[in-house]
Amino acid sequence: METAIRGLKTIDYEERARDAEYKKKLNKVMTEKEAVETFLHDGDSFCMGGFVMWRQPESIMREIARQRKKNLSLIDESGTFEGIDLLVEVGILDRIDTAYAITRQVGGISGTPALERGLKEGVPRPVEAGGVMVTPKDKVKSGVPPLKIVDWTNFQVALRLVAGAFNVPFMPCRSSIGTDIPKYNKEIKEITDPYENKPLLLIPAYKPDVAFISVQRADRRGNGQIWGFKGVDYWKARAARHVVLLTEELVPTAKIYENPGLTVIPAYCTDAVVHLPFNCLPTGCFGYYTVDSMNFIFYLLQRQNRDGALKWLDDWVFGCRNHFEYCDKLGWEKLDRLAKSEHELNKIPD
Amino acid sequence: MGHLYTAREKYTSEQLEVMKSKYTPPELVCCAGSREIVDREVVFVGIGISDLAGAIAKLVHTPNVILVAEAGYIGFASVAVLISPADNAAGTMAMCHQSLPEVFIDQQSGFIDVAYLGFAQMDKHGNVNVSYITGKPLKMNGSGGGGDIASSAGRVVYTVEFNPRHWVNKVDYMTEPGFLDGGHGARKRANLVGGGPSAVATDRGVFRFDPETQELYLADVFPWQDEKDVEEVRKGFPWDLKVSEGLKIMEPPTERELWALRLMDSSKNYILANVMDRPIGKFILAGKLDLEGYDQYLGMQEKALREILQSVS
Repeated sequence: METAIRGLKTIDYEERARDAEYKKKLNKVMTEKEAVETFLHDGDSFCMGGFVMWRQPESIMREIARQRKKNLSLIDESGTFEGIDLLVEVGILDRIDTAYAITRQVGGISGTPALERGLKEGVPRPVEAGGVMVTPKDKVKSGVPPLKIVDWTNFQVALRLVAGAFNVPFMPCRSSIGTDIPKYNKEIKEITDPYENKPLLLIPAYKPDVAFISVQRADRRGNGQIWGFKGVDYWKARAARHVVLLTEELVPTAKIYENPGLTVIPAYCTDAVVHLPFNCLPTGCFGYYTVDSMNFIFYLLQRQNRDGALKWLDDWVFGCRNHFEYCDKLGWEKLDRLAKSEHELNKIPD
Repeated sequence: MGHLYTAREKYTSEQLEVMKSKYTPPELVCCAGSREIVDREVVFVGIGISDLAGAIAKLVHTPNVILVAEAGYIGFASVAVLISPADNAAGTMAMCHQSLPEVFIDQQSGFIDVAYLGFAQMDKHGNVNVSYITGKPLKMNGSGGGGDIASSAGRVVYTVEFNPRHWVNKVDYMTEPGFLDGGHGARKRANLVGGGPSAVATDRGVFRFDPETQELYLADVFPWQDEKDVEEVRKGFPWDLKVSEGLKIMEPPTERELWALRLMDSSKNYILANVMDRPIGKFILAGKLDLEGYDQYLGMQEKALREILQSVS
């Protein structure tokens, strides 16, 4: 049962049994479109793997926008705001639990143009950020609910998912005691801990409905292997009800056996495997391809105003039927060039 | 402020003018910040300037530091300026690839000796705002890991270009705890494990905190900063900023420090504030988003990387 705090719930074996039809399959391979249709419903909450600019399933953001999902909640430490901002532009997010405020800057241009427009002009939706910043009343059209941004630190967002994975209602932490974060975020509770009689903050659990996690390698059963940093992926895969892996390479299980220490997500967590090379673009993937910085900046430049943003969405999101059409549009030669560049620094052994 | 006279005895005023004109503000910030580390410390770095300060420390002053980036990279060689704590460059020649919660757990357990952070607003007790400014256009990123780092790192070195806008009597929103109300033992009472801010490195001197009053004061200045300059710095504060009686004269950035800085950021990505002035902006403005443009731009980056890799390996 879900309480008043978004994402806070407990899961039991009965509930797990309901998901057996996905989690116990021996072949979980499906398309990205099928995965979003099957697992992410209007009103759901979700999270994505990776961390700022790296190994983030950005193609999923474009697919969620194409499917015109509604009233979604996102929990994310400080992810790649370019992708999140495109969902804000389409107006399908109701709430973001995150550790960034609202106005990311990339060398003098806005990294979150849709969020800023929402805050200043109420378009596409008004914004309520951290209990501090709100869209001016005269800009708010009646009947349009605001996008709510709830303020945490990175560790606290991670702890929400850790608590979710632990299947306990909260994790204690020492971060930000005495600051304005727990003052404005009423979902954080300050207690005097019963053992040492000292102040401590309690961070409520978050169990997202779906976690989309990009991995370098997975097999059809859903064993996901990650090279490089692990971010919060280990915990996201255990906190979420459904886990969709987007993998650069689909390998036989025999290949997984070669390096079991790299399996961050075991098959029993996974509901679906999508074989989707370059799914992290414009972010990078450790050992596979570097960040597409040119397009990252180019996208943001085009989206600085609403008209430009709508045209960008038509070109790069709605104008592509799937991720491969997006890659066709970018040009595979350029993608291979990004891969070559990454291999200067990091290459994953065969 | 007798020391200032000593500096002027050592150099002629012309020499000081020439010396001053050789450095940009970010260079001064990074080099001054890099000197705050003791060898073998575990150092949490952020991105941009706070990463560059750590990189200079590792390359020049304190080779046995263990650099930590919050996405989960530990003990990396520092082969390029980080644009993100999850950068591939932080994963290259690293001792450990782990997870984000583990990094913060390690910090809460006292393994991170020192961390670099930037800030937007600070009060006299080192409390910091990076989230919201009320009633003004917002240009802030929010906590990220900053709130955690300021709470739990052994000590925090803030790096920032000097600007009077940074100093306020009360921060609009306290994202990162400094010495809270400044009362003796305030951090301990709050049950924060970290030691709080230890220094603020700027291009107009290094500021520290009085161990008794927990109040910010001017501690170190560059050789060209005379009494007039110090007075101007003081005027940038809304409170009566104290100046150390033993005000120290810092060495200007050394050749080695500048070598390390330029090696790490050869495209001046963190020296040029506007993205359109940087190499990438110029490629975009020239419409070079085709394969040839990609090849040239990435080739340029790869060449810089190879140079660094040769120097660190």
